[in-house]
Amino acid sequence: MFSFLAAATQPNALETIKDTFGLHGAFFAAQAINFFLVIFVLKKFAFGPIQAILEQRRTRIVEGEEKLKRIEKQLADSEATTAAAIAKANEDALRLVAEAREGAAAFSEQKSQEAIAQAQQILAKAEAAGNADRERISTELKREFGRLIAATTSQVTGKVLTLEDQQRINEEALSKVGN
Amino acid sequence: MRFLAIILPVWFLCLASAHGAAGGDHALPLNAQPLHDFLPITNSIVMVWIAVGLIVLFCRAATGKMSLVPVGLQNFAEWAVESLYSFLENLMGPHLTKRTFWFFGTIFFFILTSNYLGLIPGVGTVGWNLKDSAGQAAGFLPILRGGNADINMTAAMAFTFALLWIYWAVTEIGFGGLAKHIFAPKGSFNGIMLAMMVPIFLFVGVLEIISIAIRPVALSFRLFGNIYGGEQTLEKLMALVPEWLAFLPALPFYFMELLVGFVQALVFTLLCAIFLKLICDHGDEHH
Repeated sequence: MFSFLAAATQPNALETIKDTFGLHGAFFAAQAINFFLVIFVLKKFAFGPIQAILEQRRTRIVEGEEKLKRIEKQLADSEATTAAAIAKANEDALRLVAEAREGAAAFSEQKSQEAIAQAQQILAKAEAAGNADRERISTELKREFGRLIAATTSQVTGKVLTLEDQQRINEEALSKVGN
Repeated sequence: MRFLAIILPVWFLCLASAHGAAGGDHALPLNAQPLHDFLPITNSIVMVWIAVGLIVLFCRAATGKMSLVPVGLQNFAEWAVESLYSFLENLMGPHLTKRTFWFFGTIFFFILTSNYLGLIPGVGTVGWNLKDSAGQAAGFLPILRGGNADINMTAAMAFTFALLWIYWAVTEIGFGGLAKHIFAPKGSFNGIMLAMMVPIFLFVGVLEIISIAIRPVALSFRLFGNIYGGEQTLEKLMALVPEWLAFLPALPFYFMELLVGFVQALVFTLLCAIFLKLICDHGDEHH
């Protein structure tokens, strides 16, 4: 190390190194210019555009991530809204069905009552009609029976019966026959 | 494995027979040689121009039509730039990397390109034998020479870094910060201890200044030595065997030189980045 230092401190050491390795001012300057040229070329045509596009891509990725988060939030909100709407629709539907059932039951009851009332009316009418017919037939039978009694009495007795006789005989006969 | 099994015995046979073949080889000169008597153009400058041209062509092809969805060369260029950027960012931090990447990126890609171009067959070996005025052999002049096998190129890069290094250090931590980095006692001392430590740290500061001054020289010679040594190794190995077999002994070393080319580009870049980081570290503490 000391010999190196000694050699380096000799007055012609730099000249020796320059001569040995060909260190030359003009060549050094030329190579330095070449190096600056490389710096310029790479900075302008490589590092600049590439770093710009990398930055642009990084920004787009960040924006994309933010958008994705926003979309996910919107989707979650939308799903929640949809679920709420579905739940509300279900609730409404159940309520409507229940109301419809209640309405149908009431209507059915009403119709049943009406049918019963109508049936009762029909029965009453039929009964009234039956009673009327029976009364009429009974009256006719009584009249016919009276006429037959009067005719039989007239033929048996050989006497012409008056209206009063006929009436009396009819009444007696009917009172014995009963209703 | 089969490839190595074939290559290695042949290579050792070549080495064994090399003693007889010595003498006919031509060594790559230590210094870059001018191709013209009047213009300051050396064979390594021509090689650097070729490297610049290739870099321009690659950049235009890769970044001519940039798209957000990268394909082909753009994809490769983005991968390379982003990888180096991340590597430096881990080393120097985001602020320094953003500020200085243009320089470190250039250093790395240029050294890498130049180193690999120097491995192309013909570089350093195709040229003509020189003769002096008496008609005697006066050396060999290759038409092309690896850019980094020229001390002028490596020194140009190293001293450019040295200037930028000082500039970045001053702008980051100021003149006071720089002086403090160099001379201030490391640690906390009080009273008599401080008085005793001041001259020691002043001496350490002088050593630090010498160290800073030597670093660009060391950077220059480290890169030059590795690349020149690699080329010289390849040439010497090729000269060990008959010409028709010259490719064979050098072949394994071509793979090693591919690795060396990458490693040296990385080492140069890494050392520059570390030097800058170390000198700016105090500034980060204050900011």
